[in-house]
Amino acid sequence: MTIGRTKTKEEVIEALHSVAAEMHDKMMKGNPPSMTLPVRTKTNITFDNKLQVYKYGKKKSTRDATALGSARVLLRSLHITEFIQQMIESGKSSTLREMYYISEGWGNGKFSTQNESNNLAEDLEIVTKCIREDFKLRPEEDGARIIGNVTFEEKNRKGEWMRINCRDDVGDSGYGVPYNVEAEKLRLIDQDIDFVMAVETGGMFDRLVENGFDEEARCALIHLKGQPARSTRRIMKRMSDEWKKPILVFADCDPWSFRIFASIAYGAIKTAHISEYLATSEATYLGITADDILAYDLPSDDLTKSDIGALQSELSDPRFSTGWWKEQINLMQEIGKKAEQQSLAKYGLDFVTDTYLPEKLGVLGLNY
Amino acid sequence: MSNAEEISSKQKQIAVSEFFEKNKHFLGFDSLQRSIITAVKESVDNSLDACEEARILPTIHVELNRQKGDTIELITQDNGPGIPRNSIEDVFGKFLLGSRFHAIRQTRGQQGIGITGVVMYSQLTTGSKTNVISKIKKESSAVFVELGLDTRKNRALKTSENRDVWIDKRTGEEIEQGLGIKTVMKGKYQKGKQSVYQYLRMTSIVNPHASISLIVRDKDRNIIDEGNWIRTSERLPRIVSEIKPHPHGIHLGTLQRMLRESEERKMTSFLRHNFSGVSMRAAREILSKAKIDESRGPRRIKAEDAQEILLAFQQVKLLSPPMDCLSPIDDLLIKKGLSKAIDSRFASTVTRVPSVSQGNPFQVEVGLVFGGDLSADGPIEVLRFANRVPLMYQQGGCLLTKALESIDWKRYGLDHPAGRGVPKGPAALLIHLASTNVQFTSEAKEAVAENEEVYEEIRKALLEVGRGLKNYLKKSSQRKKAQEKFELVNIILPEISRKSSEILSRDEPDLAPVITKIMNAVFCEEKLDWDKERQTATCSIKIYNYTARARAYTILVKWPENTTISIVDNERGGRKETRGIWAWRLDALNPGTCTTIEFGVSGLVKGEWTDTDVFFRGNGDIIGASKIDETLLNEIRKSEALDAAESEILNESGSLEPLIDRAETNEVESLQKIIPKTNNEQLSLSEWEVE
Ligand SMILES: Nc1ncnc2c1ncn2[C@@H]1O[C@H](COP(=O)(O)OP(=O)(O)OP(=O)(O)O)[C@@H](O)[C@H]1O
Ligand SMILES: [Mg+2]
Repeated sequence: MTIGRTKTKEEVIEALHSVAAEMHDKMMKGNPPSMTLPVRTKTNITFDNKLQVYKYGKKKSTRDATALGSARVLLRSLHITEFIQQMIESGKSSTLREMYYISEGWGNGKFSTQNESNNLAEDLEIVTKCIREDFKLRPEEDGARIIGNVTFEEKNRKGEWMRINCRDDVGDSGYGVPYNVEAEKLRLIDQDIDFVMAVETGGMFDRLVENGFDEEARCALIHLKGQPARSTRRIMKRMSDEWKKPILVFADCDPWSFRIFASIAYGAIKTAHISEYLATSEATYLGITADDILAYDLPSDDLTKSDIGALQSELSDPRFSTGWWKEQINLMQEIGKKAEQQSLAKYGLDFVTDTYLPEKLGVLGLNY
Repeated sequence: MSNAEEISSKQKQIAVSEFFEKNKHFLGFDSLQRSIITAVKESVDNSLDACEEARILPTIHVELNRQKGDTIELITQDNGPGIPRNSIEDVFGKFLLGSRFHAIRQTRGQQGIGITGVVMYSQLTTGSKTNVISKIKKESSAVFVELGLDTRKNRALKTSENRDVWIDKRTGEEIEQGLGIKTVMKGKYQKGKQSVYQYLRMTSIVNPHASISLIVRDKDRNIIDEGNWIRTSERLPRIVSEIKPHPHGIHLGTLQRMLRESEERKMTSFLRHNFSGVSMRAAREILSKAKIDESRGPRRIKAEDAQEILLAFQQVKLLSPPMDCLSPIDDLLIKKGLSKAIDSRFASTVTRVPSVSQGNPFQVEVGLVFGGDLSADGPIEVLRFANRVPLMYQQGGCLLTKALESIDWKRYGLDHPAGRGVPKGPAALLIHLASTNVQFTSEAKEAVAENEEVYEEIRKALLEVGRGLKNYLKKSSQRKKAQEKFELVNIILPEISRKSSEILSRDEPDLAPVITKIMNAVFCEEKLDWDKERQTATCSIKIYNYTARARAYTILVKWPENTTISIVDNERGGRKETRGIWAWRLDALNPGTCTTIEFGVSGLVKGEWTDTDVFFRGNGDIIGASKIDETLLNEIRKSEALDAAESEILNESGSLEPLIDRAETNEVESLQKIIPKTNNEQLSLSEWEVE
């Protein structure tokens, strides 16, 4: 795959045309039109040990127009192709939701649910080896916020490059990461930090900002907003690749937060076709760990049934196959507890910045 | 004699009022909710019975007005023949005084206890008298009577009586004939599955010839419930005639009494004249089996001989009793009744031929509706009826329910968890038992008692509608599949072709070979419609060949053939294949082409023919049609030939007796099995194939 390299307009259009061409060729030979794509089920998703990310396997399936449902999908993908081509030519972009509404005017090619249009956009990414940024399609979800002494250049609506320092040129909410963080839109210019710290919850992010942690510890803080958006994961990957800075993840201690980390570090199943482009395999889980609950005697909640089920399935997930993760998960099951990041406030508002983080970072050799 | 007098002259009396005072729960007065339903039911049943006998299309109004506490004023009014002044006290004040207790035929009221129970219950619970207004057509004024009950002496206590003009409060017009009742009783009005509303709704389903209205008011006279079911048929149920007893249902005591009272001089004539189903030949055979001389006088038959006769009754092949004493609702009317009360996609009904259990004629009817507005989760709605009377209680203990539960509904497309209980799904099922003698489990007449023959008949009827449902579901899924394919090749594929060519700036491909590849089948689409102007049902059958080869077929279509029903506007001609099946031989159908067969059927009413089956003869399957079963066709042809022979003999001798006598042995039965009733749409050829 050549993902990661920004494609020219012509290349994107050509790739999309190849989808239409497969259909047209089939019909010219008297056969039902079709679209070939990898099987997108768990059975065809394997962990690439070399890249340390999840990837689709070799199984292909053919969607052909012998059934009404698939025929409709084919027609829709032609409508999308045409729509994207128009956007590229007129320099516009649209959200996936806008495209869903625009499809109202596509007659028999219109989508019946938003999910359908999202899935088809993903299918096209996979088949054309383009990414949705190439298609000028934006997600609905918010990008992350960044605060710290790093400098980006973003191309604004007038097509001019705008330089932004994420400490000096932003307010308390930080720099909002745009949906497209590819080189054509965003350049990583400069930094004066020792590491990047991704924070799960908004409450903790704001606490660290208020306590001036970014300056004190010489880091860039990123607010993940739950399961991180594609652009959030992509910008972290670029910061890791281009600035060679450690990426640390600071999250709650519960099975769902572990999965947030896994999607950052190894990739998620839904986006397995672009895992090596989104996943930062060098990322490190900083805390909160099961050890921490005991060591700091943190206020905790009992694991629920679904928590226990999630932990159980993580034990058989190759993304958590290291000894350290196994230990943590087992310990968590043993004590039957989970804890939130903000439970650190038990020892006061400054405890997290004065005591907890310095101690945790110290173990990693990041002293300040 | 006027209708009213005729009815009342037949009344005989039996005194048991005290017994019933102690056992009022048997009569359905065991709870406040139920009592009010029972009271309405007794009154409405009587109105329907009386109107039916007097050949009047019934219009019935029911009013319930809540008073203080748990008391309700009940007002009912009908347009029936009324009751002669002299009989009013007996009808409302004496138990076991009915016109039909001793007659053998199908009516709602059977015991002559119904309406007196209402009078008694009102008196017991509120001390209230009952007001009766009766207007007989030939009299110039109505009689207004107020009465109570002397339960120990089993008679009415009249407290006032006068004559006046009866004016309808709701219309302001004078009432020409009818009966009105007003009384006050303890009771509670409740909505739901067991309510006056539901009782009247069910009643209107099986009495499409009746108009019924209901108004329920609370203490402040606000209307809290309301129903208005307007008649959908002007056809009164057939006049039911009284019949003589059938030998199979007779007991020794009865036989002895009949012998004693006989006026015949010879035993052969005694048997032929006093029983139904006994031909001359059968009478002789009975007597020879019982070793009794044919010319012996009936009054001189002793007990031992009577016993021998009883035994011989069981050994000799007898004709069934005449069935005109029964009043089935009839397929089409059930359909109309059901569709009046329930919105559905599919309705199928079966009226079984009458049958006999212990000398009592009975007949089973079943109607099934499916889809539409019906709720898909939860058990199906079960509508039970005995002699057109809704049964609303004791569903679980009723023979009708047990027969329903014994069917493996999963095979017919309904959800039936663990194969037990009432099946689930968006369906409602009506079961009607018509009989001269419905056996109930109790006096309350709410659940039909066990009876092997009735049970089997119900099961057969249910299986028939079940097969109809299965066929319908199969057909609609096939139809859906075919429609999807049509949409695919006619709409989506051309768009894919146009769009992809547009995007790539290339020429459009020729789609014919692509379509053949995608479809690779012959499709058949049938459509039934109603031509209002010409009053004919129309049928159009389209056949598409989407294969790579030319195809040749004969298409056969089922239609409701009958002496009064014929095929019209049939430009393609074709020929009659056999009774109820018309056939057209088609010219070779080339790949990618389509042909249409169109014809009309006259002599039907709207809604009578809504579903048909299409068959084919030829190589290669047709989606939407089934291959004709030739052996079955032969069977139908044979039975048709037999029918023709029968009518020939009938024309020659003017009597059916010789033929029926001959047929008694087994032909009648086998005939009934083979000939699918023409108005029965369920028994399709393809099902026979499957079974
Ligand atoms: N509305 C009516 N119009 C005319 N005649 C009626 C009416 N109601 C009752 N009768 C006459 O009064 C008789 C007695 O009615 P009742 O309800 O007591 O008994 P039933 O209907 O014969 O039997 P059951 O006990 O099963 O109801 C009826 O058979 C009928 O002849
Ligand atoms: Mg009655």
